[in-house]
Amino acid sequence: MEQQIQQFGAGPRELYLPEMAVITEVRRLTELETLYTVELPGGRDLGHKPGQFVEVSLYGIGEAPFSISSSPTRRGSFELGIRRVGMLTDVLAGYAPGRKIGIRGPFGNGIDVSKFTGKDVLIIAGGIGLVPMRSLINYVLDRRDEFGRLIICYGSRSDSELLFPDELAAWEKDPRTEYHVTVDRGTEAWTGRTGVITTLLPGLALDLPNTVACICGPPVMYRFVVMALRGRGLPDQNVYMSLERRMKCGVGKCGHCQINNTYVCQDGPVYNLPDIAKLREAL
Amino acid sequence: MAQYFLEQARVADFVAHLLASNTVYAPHRKGSRSYAFAKADDPAAVVLDYPRTLSSVKKFFLPPREVLLNFDLTLDAASVPPVEPGNAVFLGVHSYDLAAVRRLDFNFTTGNPERNYLARRDGARFIGVSYVPDKFHFAGSVGIDPYDMTGCDMFLTKHADGWIVDIPTGEGSELAAGFKLEAHDEPKPPRAHFTQHVFVPQARLGKVMEASYDHPVWNETADACLGCGTCNLVCPTCYCFNVQENVDIACTSGQRERSWDGCMLRGFTEVAGGEFFREKVAARQRHRVYRKFKYISDVTGQPWCVGCGRCTASCTAKISIVEIVNRLIRDSERDESILT
Repeated sequence: MEQQIQQFGAGPRELYLPEMAVITEVRRLTELETLYTVELPGGRDLGHKPGQFVEVSLYGIGEAPFSISSSPTRRGSFELGIRRVGMLTDVLAGYAPGRKIGIRGPFGNGIDVSKFTGKDVLIIAGGIGLVPMRSLINYVLDRRDEFGRLIICYGSRSDSELLFPDELAAWEKDPRTEYHVTVDRGTEAWTGRTGVITTLLPGLALDLPNTVACICGPPVMYRFVVMALRGRGLPDQNVYMSLERRMKCGVGKCGHCQINNTYVCQDGPVYNLPDIAKLREAL
Repeated sequence: MAQYFLEQARVADFVAHLLASNTVYAPHRKGSRSYAFAKADDPAAVVLDYPRTLSSVKKFFLPPREVLLNFDLTLDAASVPPVEPGNAVFLGVHSYDLAAVRRLDFNFTTGNPERNYLARRDGARFIGVSYVPDKFHFAGSVGIDPYDMTGCDMFLTKHADGWIVDIPTGEGSELAAGFKLEAHDEPKPPRAHFTQHVFVPQARLGKVMEASYDHPVWNETADACLGCGTCNLVCPTCYCFNVQENVDIACTSGQRERSWDGCMLRGFTEVAGGEFFREKVAARQRHRVYRKFKYISDVTGQPWCVGCGRCTASCTAKISIVEIVNRLIRDSERDESILT
C-alpha cells in the first residue's frame, strides 16, 4: 500500500466524461421497449464484447447503464434495447434520430466467446434479458461455423411483449437455429406454448458435456433456471449468467453494484456459475 | 532519530509558522463537544489534543459533494472541471485516520485510478499527533498504534506540558525549517491502553466472518438500526458515492455532482423497476461489517476498519461494531472447527 502512494504522477485517464454519440435509428419494439442504433464520432466501433454494457448520459437528466444488444460483428454502430421504466428512459423514448446522447464504456467483462467456440450454445432469455443475449446470438449467427448447435429458449410474460419479432421469425425458420418460445399468459391470438421459461428445458435434447448455457432475465428467474439445468445434468462450469445490479459509475468505485465481494461492473456482469454459486447475494 | 520538544505554549506559534508558507488543515472545536478538521486561519483555534473529529481528513480528498461534469444543455456538451492539487499540510492527524487514507489510496489507485481523488491527494503532507484512546477507540486491535508514524512527515507525541516531535521525512524537515525546536532525549511516555478490543487478528477474522453469514446478530442489530447511514458517513474508509444531476432554473446548464452515499441506506441497491438487492436492514448491516473485515480484507490481508470508533460513537441506536464482531468471534469459537 505504501508503494501505491508513490504512483500518483501516473496521470489517470478521465473516468466520468462521456463521449457524445448520435442516435441514427429508432425502432419501436413494443409499447415499452425501443431499439436505438447509436453511432460514435466517425463511425468508430465501440469495441465491445457480447454481454458488456455502456453508461448512457442525457445531460440534465442523468446517467444509467444499458446492455449492448448488437453483436460486435456488426460494425460501425451499436444498438441499445431500452425499456421505459424511469425518468431517463422516458425522456429517451421521445428521442428521434439525430439526437445526441453521451456514452461511457463499454464496461464489464462481457462474454469470453472463446470458451463457447466449438460448443453447443444454449441461450436462456427471460423478458428483457433477450436484449443482451441478442448480442451473443447474432455473434454466433455471424460466425456460425465456429460454434455447434444454437439453441434459444425465450420466455416472456405475454406474446404482446415479445421483442424483435422479425428476428424471432427468422430464427424459427433458420434450420441451424433451434428456437423455443413460451409465454406466461398468451393473448387470444397466441397459439404457441404457455408456461414459465423452465418448462422449455426438460424437453431439450442436450449433448451435456459439449453444451454451454448463458442465462439472462429478471432476478427471480435465475435460481429456477439453474435448478432446472442442474436437474438436466449440465455441469455448473458450463453455465454463464448475466446479472443486473445498480452499476452507477461503471469503473469499480461507487460501490452500488457490489454482490458480496464482487463488483458487477468489474468482475461481471457475466459470471460463470461456480464463481457465484457460493455468493449468497447473487441469485 | 533525533527528537525535539514543542511546549504547549508554543503550539500556536508553530501553527503560525506552518501557515506562513502552507495551506493547513487541522482540528478545531465544533460546538461544545465536537471537533472537526477545518482550514486553519487563527493559530490559537487549532486543537491538537482531541479524542476524534466528526469526520476524517477523507473529506479533503473525497469531498462530500463534488462536481464531476459541467454541462451546457444548449450545446449538449460537457466538460470536466479542473481539480486543483491539494498541496496542503494536514496537522493533528491521528494514526488511524492516516491508515484510512492509505486504504482509500488503495481503493482509488487499483483497477481504474481516479484523477479527482489522486489530484486532491497530491502533495499532502501529514503531521500526526498521538491520542489517548477513549471508550470508543479500538485501533490497537486492527494493528494501528496511537504512536504509529507511518505516512507522517512529522509526529507529535503528547508528553507532560507539550509534545515530543519526531521528523521522519525530508518533507517534515522542510516544514520544521526556520522554527526553533529544542532537542529532546528523554524516553517517550508509557503507551496508553485501549479499553475496547476486537479479540482476534484479521487472519482469523476472515474465517469468523465466513462462518457468520447467517448469525442472528444481523437481525438483532437490524431491530435497533434506523438505517440512517450515519455509520457510513462518519467512516474514514467508506468511499461509496451517488451521482446526481443539478440543472439551473433556466434549463440551459447544470452540473453532474457526486455525493457520499451509504450501503446502509435502503435505496443504495435499487435498480430501475423497483428491485432492491439488499432490502433488509440485516443484510445491509452484514454488508457494512463485511466491507470492513472481509471483502477487501480477504484480498489485502488487512482490516478495512481502522478502529476510530466513529460509527459506534455516532450511532443513535448505540450499535457497536466492536460488540458485533466480538459476538461473532465468541460464537464461532464455540465451534472449534471453524478456526482450526
